[in-house]
Amino acid sequence: MEKSIENIWKEGFLKSDALVAPKINNLYTQKSIHIIDKFKRMFKINLIAIVAFSFTFLIVSFIIGIPITGIIFFVTLSVLVFINKKLLNDLEKIDLGISSYQYLKAFNKWINEQISINMRFSKFLYPIIFMSLVLGFWFKDAEGMPLGERLVGEILIGFPDTYLLFGIPLIGIVLLAVIIGLLVLVGGRIYKWDLNLVYGRLFKKLEELMTDIESLRS
Amino acid sequence: MSNDFYKTSILPFAGIIIKLCRAYTNSQADFEDYYQEVCLQIWRSKDSFREESQWSTWVYRISLNVCLTLLKKKKNNVQHFVSDSITAEETENNYAFSDESLNLLYDAIRKLSEIDRAVIMLYLEEKSQKEIAEIIGTNPNNIGVRVKRIKIRLKKILDGKIN
Repeated sequence: MEKSIENIWKEGFLKSDALVAPKINNLYTQKSIHIIDKFKRMFKINLIAIVAFSFTFLIVSFIIGIPITGIIFFVTLSVLVFINKKLLNDLEKIDLGISSYQYLKAFNKWINEQISINMRFSKFLYPIIFMSLVLGFWFKDAEGMPLGERLVGEILIGFPDTYLLFGIPLIGIVLLAVIIGLLVLVGGRIYKWDLNLVYGRLFKKLEELMTDIESLRS
Repeated sequence: MSNDFYKTSILPFAGIIIKLCRAYTNSQADFEDYYQEVCLQIWRSKDSFREESQWSTWVYRISLNVCLTLLKKKKNNVQHFVSDSITAEETENNYAFSDESLNLLYDAIRKLSEIDRAVIMLYLEEKSQKEIAEIIGTNPNNIGVRVKRIKIRLKKILDGKIN
């Protein structure tokens, strides 16, 4: 006669070797493989790296004569760090002791909020970084005059018919506007692409879990 | 984590953790990682336990939530020399109970979706539909139907393999 799964379960676990707990070593210091912990750790490392980079770049920018770039970088990245630190604090609040549905939902909500905020921010981040580089080099001292003015002077010598708007070649302004427009358009996508590259598998798994658990609720 | 906390609050419930972790892993190394991670998270979350449920139920919740959201270790894709390679059969044998029927049942459970694994494990642990629904966060009315479907599926997988 075939055994029922209930009997297999009960009888199987009556044997002494079935429930031997593995030895636990260095539990306190072990590197966690839990998603939330991994996120927290990566988030913290990222934020520290951004702060370190923005400080270093600020100093370097003064040394190499593009302080405008350094200052804009520093301010923009500080805002980015501030926003993400707040997001990280929310992640810390997720309680593992709640039901699986609530837990997955809370985690999913956090991920979606994080993606949405950072996608919106990326639309500004890339154009601002690009403009800060342009401005930094435009005003960089080049033998007593800003590099930008010097460049315009050179262009006017080569192409005297160049149309200027506020002292800048119109073609240059159009080109800048196109690049900024493109960066605004693709900024969010660049962020999401980057994120999917790292966490694509995880997002898919979460989505599947949520769909499955929601079908049980309906 | 203090040794006392492990001995008094986790070890008596190790059976729960072992059974669940076994269902979400298929190698001894992964199982040990999952087990350690669950213990770590129970210890980290102990302050949020508000005694609204039994400690064992809470351990189930943590174990399940950790198992559902653990990052599986990436398989080592490095090519081995023929003499070093480990066949699937060997890996299975290394990670087996002495009870063959239980091994077959676990293999069948591992073929289910992650949520179905949770449902059937809690059912086999004789949790009521209400408790299962509370732990998973679903509607208790649907648990019975789901359990029936899962049992049919398990029976199909196990068909003829167990006497």
